[in-house]
Order: sequence, then structure tokens, then C-alpha cells
Amino acid sequence: MSTVIAPAGSARGQARRGGGYEQPQGRRSNFELYSWFFMRLSGLILIFLSLYHLVWWNLIVGVEHLSADLVRERWQNPFWRFYNVALLLFAMLHGLNGLRYSIEDYVRKPGAQVAVKAVAYTLILTSMAIGAFALFTYNPAVAAAAR
Amino acid sequence: MAIVDRAKSLSAALTYRGREGMWTWILHRATGLGILLFLIIHVVETATVIYWPQLYEGFLDTYKSAFFRFAEVLIFFSVVYHALNGTRIIVQDFWPLAMRRQRQLAWAAGGLTVLAMIPITFLMIRPLLGGPEPGEERHRQRIERQQATVPATTPVVQVTP
Repeated sequence: MSTVIAPAGSARGQARRGGGYEQPQGRRSNFELYSWFFMRLSGLILIFLSLYHLVWWNLIVGVEHLSADLVRERWQNPFWRFYNVALLLFAMLHGLNGLRYSIEDYVRKPGAQVAVKAVAYTLILTSMAIGAFALFTYNPAVAAAAR
Repeated sequence: MAIVDRAKSLSAALTYRGREGMWTWILHRATGLGILLFLIIHVVETATVIYWPQLYEGFLDTYKSAFFRFAEVLIFFSVVYHALNGTRIIVQDFWPLAMRRQRQLAWAAGGLTVLAMIPITFLMIRPLLGGPEPGEERHRQRIERQQATVPATTPVVQVTP
């Protein structure tokens, strides 16, 4: 059985007997395993966080009755700010990784892939930071002064 | 080869008979990317509620339009489907015997989504047909509570010159 040596710089490792490839030499990592596990764990948590969020604001409160006052009243309670932080972080990171899967599927040229990923990650992480900033710096006194 | 055919064009991809496995994969990806797009807009827009409340109220006016009502139903559908199909994927991953019933489980996820969306769509679209808004009674009580607290503070305003 002759082993096929992968070309230098290839993202694949050596061809494995019976199909597939070994992990590339020199940069073994369990990142894809952790990302696979994170998608299942965060997905399970998000089912409860996101569906409660949707039922609460769309069906119990109603979008027509929304106002800045109503949202701030909700945010007075640290529990709901913590809830929103959890929802924000899990949803954004779950979405970021899902988008990474899609980009790696459709953008095959290495240079273009890096460029598209850079734009996508910047967009997602910036909006995540803006959301986290609002939640973490929320202070009823500051909110009242801005009125 | 089937995979080569599928990669040729969009029409070839759509006539590729991947059955339940392919369609649930497409729906899961489409709903996921759709939710992510809305999530980015929604987070930035909601963040303005603290420091630019007037701007936030402007965004709310857009949400309160008839067009967005349908968009909200679509977002609700996307989250429910993504949640139920994701549950199916987790079950199949951690309990491999379920793979023998993957086709039935795919239909179960789709069927439960449709069942859940019937009352949800009804509640959210009913106001366009003259019905009550969701949360109307709750909103009325809230306004009453606010009005009940106003008279207690108004005399103070009247006394000051």
C-alpha cells in the first residue's frame, strides 16, 4: 500500500486507507470538533431563548404596542439584560459559524474566501459589540438623561 | 455523476433529486442565513433604544407597517423551522439509530413547523382583517395604570408658578 504524500501547502493531510484524508501535518487542531459541538449546544439553548423572545414580543406584547419606554422598563431588571446578553452572544456566534460553513462551501478561491470572511466577521462582530455595549452600559439614570 | 450534475447550474441543482435530506438541508441553510441577516439589523436597531430613543421609535414605525407584519411572520417561521430541524439533527447525531427514520423525522420537523405556524400566523395577521392586535388587552391595562399615576403628580406642576 503506497501512501500518497499531500503537496506542500495543501490543506489536506495524507490520503487515508479506505477514503478521506488525515489532518494536515503541523497544524493539527480540534477546532472543527469544538465548532460542531458548539453548534449543537448553542442551538439547543437558542431554541428556548429565541422562541420565548419571539412569543413574548410578537404575541404577548405585540409589535404595535412597542415603544422605547417599554423596552427600557424591561431592561431595568438585570435578569432580562442578562437574558438578552445570552441571546445576543449565542445567536451571533451560532450565526457567525453557520455563515462560515456557507462561505467555505460557496467561495472556493482562497484569496476571495479570506476577503469575504473578513467582511462577514467584521459585520457580525461589530453589530455584536454594539448590542453588547447598549446592554452592558444600560443605566436607568443615563437613559433618562438622554430623553 | 450526480454531484457533477448538481454543481452545473441552479436548474440542475433544483431538479437534482436529493429528496428529504437535500430539501431540509437547503431550508435549514436558507432560514439560518435569513435569521442572521435580520439579527444583525435587529441588534443594531435595538441598541439605539438607550442613547437615541427617537431614532429607535423611527425604526419601530417601520416594524409597524403592513409589509413588516408579513416579514415578522416569515422570521417566526424561519426560527421555528430552524429550531425543529436543528433538534432533528441533534437527535440523529447523538442517537444514530434515529438515522433509520431520518425521512420520517424530516417530515415530522416540517409538519410540526406548519402546525405551530397556523395559530401564530392567525394571531399576527388577524389585525389586517379587522381583528384585535396581539397583546391589546395587556396594552390597555398598561395605559390605564399609567393614567392612574398621572393625577398624583399633576398638582405639583399646577402649584409651581
